[in-house]
Amino acid sequence: MPTLTRPRLRRIVEKIGGAVVVLFGAATAAFAAQAALPGDRATVILNIRAGQAIERTPAELAQINQQYGLQNPLVVQYLDYIRGLLVGDLGISYQQFKPVSEVILQQIGPTVALTLTAIALSWLIMIAWVTLTAGRTGRLAGAGAVVDTTAAGLPHYWLGIILLLVFSLGLGWFPVISGPSAIGIVLPALTLAIPLAGFMGQATRTEFERSLEQPFVISARMRGMGDTGVRLRHVLRHSVLPAITLSGWALGATISGAVVVETVFSRPGIGKVLVGAVNSQDLPVVTGIVILIAALYVVANLLVDVAYTLVDPRLKSA
Amino acid sequence: MSRTRSTTTALITLGVVSALSLSACASAAPASTATRVDGGTIVYGHQQEPACVFGGWIEQAYLSSQVLDGLVSLDENHQVVPWLADSWSVSDDQLTWTFTLKDGVTFTDGTPLTAAVVAYNFDYWLAGGNSTASVWLAGYYASAQAVDDRTLTVNLSAPYPRLADNLTQGYFGIQSQQALETRTDEENCEAPIGSGAFVVDHWNRGEEIVLVRNEDYTSPPANAKHTGVAYVDQIDWKFVADPTTRAASLSAGETDVIYDVPAVAWKTLESAGFQLEKYITPGRPQQLTFNTSSGPFVDEKVRQAFAYSLDRESLVETIGQGVIPYEGNGGVSQATPGYSQAAADLYNLDTDTADSLLDAAGWTGRDADGYRTKGGETLDVVLPYGAGSIVNADGASILQGLQEQAKATGFKVELIPVPQSALFAGEYSQPDEKDISVGYWTAVTSGILAINWRQGTPEAPNYNNASFTNYPELESIILEANSTLDTDAQNALYEKAQEYIAEHALAIGVYDRLSTLAVSPTLKDVWQENAQGGPIFYDAYFVE
Repeated sequence: MPTLTRPRLRRIVEKIGGAVVVLFGAATAAFAAQAALPGDRATVILNIRAGQAIERTPAELAQINQQYGLQNPLVVQYLDYIRGLLVGDLGISYQQFKPVSEVILQQIGPTVALTLTAIALSWLIMIAWVTLTAGRTGRLAGAGAVVDTTAAGLPHYWLGIILLLVFSLGLGWFPVISGPSAIGIVLPALTLAIPLAGFMGQATRTEFERSLEQPFVISARMRGMGDTGVRLRHVLRHSVLPAITLSGWALGATISGAVVVETVFSRPGIGKVLVGAVNSQDLPVVTGIVILIAALYVVANLLVDVAYTLVDPRLKSA
Repeated sequence: MSRTRSTTTALITLGVVSALSLSACASAAPASTATRVDGGTIVYGHQQEPACVFGGWIEQAYLSSQVLDGLVSLDENHQVVPWLADSWSVSDDQLTWTFTLKDGVTFTDGTPLTAAVVAYNFDYWLAGGNSTASVWLAGYYASAQAVDDRTLTVNLSAPYPRLADNLTQGYFGIQSQQALETRTDEENCEAPIGSGAFVVDHWNRGEEIVLVRNEDYTSPPANAKHTGVAYVDQIDWKFVADPTTRAASLSAGETDVIYDVPAVAWKTLESAGFQLEKYITPGRPQQLTFNTSSGPFVDEKVRQAFAYSLDRESLVETIGQGVIPYEGNGGVSQATPGYSQAAADLYNLDTDTADSLLDAAGWTGRDADGYRTKGGETLDVVLPYGAGSIVNADGASILQGLQEQAKATGFKVELIPVPQSALFAGEYSQPDEKDISVGYWTAVTSGILAINWRQGTPEAPNYNNASFTNYPELESIILEANSTLDTDAQNALYEKAQEYIAEHALAIGVYDRLSTLAVSPTLKDVWQENAQGGPIFYDAYFVE
């Protein structure tokens, strides 16, 4: 029963406290990193708007500094920024003239959809492949691990272009310019999912093969259970814990992979916005997205905790 | 980064693309008796997404010209022709320009186009609304007033006979005064209000800007191919950053037009029946300007030696695969009125001359690597460049080739790729940080020379002068040219200025900046405007 016992309450409070610290740290680190970049922010704002790379006159700079409060000491800017965060104000984009929260809200949907689809696909691929090949003898056994390792090392850019050329241009099954459409998500998601499946496969395979030798497997077999049944119903459950942990990590990793994939497949998304914002030193947008990614990591870790308890009931009492 | 890698991938997959694209569009070509169909949506694949629909970037000017009408337009013979202004005249002292506006033009917010609105636009640009428009007018513009609703006077502080030519650039699109005054910056950034052939419907950031036909359009430029409203209903201006994806999307029929055709895909698309358009941007080409205020290039002999140690033409031919044109002139490109061929031809590979010039300049020693030395110091020159922003992947390869060539005569060229953020933040903008500056600047006239070579003073510094040195003689030639009424006399002066730049080896040219388009055979009459090479979709129509 989900009653709030004292230890459980304490754990929730600890988790939330930890999340706040992580978010605060991410916000501070992002601000510090951007502030430490060489060059003057008002100069960047002007140069980006004009497409030039030159020094600017004091009169030009004064106007921009005034507008964005960049003439204030860094400490004051930082405190203003943190104060804004506390009331949910991420600031105004230097280049798009609109609130950062709006910039992010417009773009987060496609990226989250892409990321979740990629993780789901990678689980499907990984489970099918590992169940089929782990602990086998002969040619299949060797192929299993080799494919894992190869897939894990595939660069997103290369894989994306190949999928694009074969399935969009060659076979015409998918659009070349994915856009935000449902059918358009397949190739970008596969591009992220294949290396991730390889990566998770490596971790799962080891566990899977160890479990195959456990006494409960032998007893199940002795009860007359078929090989496939044993693999799917008993062994798999024991082997996926590392992959669950990796999925939390993968949420962050696929978002960074999304930067490349969104470019190759011309999908809108947060990755593209982040690249643009970093290039133009659009500090409010960069810090906003960094905080968002930190928040996603925090949520993913919580979900991993929950998944652990569901998969392995022994952890419930811990 | 992705540009560099994509070129490699593009090369690897070229065979696949060519085979596939041939089969993909064999059936796309219409019969020769094709008839025009009204309506339809042009899907256009552009490479870069700007922050706003108007502003000082060439990327923004391309969008502006679909949505905002200008006062005047440039035709294919480089003549200024009417647009929002029916006619214009200049006073005898060359200081007062009078523009007569078209009658009955309204902005898409319903407000009328009046002389007062245009005057307001001039002041708005100068006050920071468009820094590129402002730098063109700076030093000449005094004020603008409405004499009556249709008559505008622009007062100058010095004669500027090519004022109208410059106003043909997309930066000078006229916006509704009511929109500028009453809407937020964000609203004007995303959907500026003009009187153009198209209106911004909405912007899906990261994906596309959707432009719809202005159903009340009455004011096409005189050099358009038709009058009235545009033929197509809509333009989906998509942002497709990756060049391989762009070329593939055209082959697959997902886009009707693409911008910036990758050199490796050029021949494939051409033989598959796509219409290819190439426009050499007038203005400053991709060139090298020497820092003459500090470092080894203070000595003119060393600058000349550097120029003589390069075979720029064969390098550009090789890497550009016949698509990128070689440009020897360091002042302006071959597409610019008042271009000097003599200045372009001054330096060719001549290692003997380069060697003797270096000897004469005192760089007589050689270090262990074969680089020239003087008093124990190596002939080391720093060349930072905007990788992926100002210089694309092909350009970077050309610079690497120049580095190799200069090595033979003993120059140690330190090539430093600088990311866009650092570059725009002002890194390597100071004279003590670099010996050579790389860059281009699109322009309609050789007046760009004034922006690049005008002297700086402590009160009015000119950071666009990459030599970091004032050349009063050069400046006086250029300013005299800027204010000379007779075009032939003016061009002769501009040529003289380029020859001054070449003789003193202040800057040398490398290659011309291009705007390229590939257009589907089912779409007709897409053309590139003559000021900056942007695509014009007003006259375009589909055939079947």
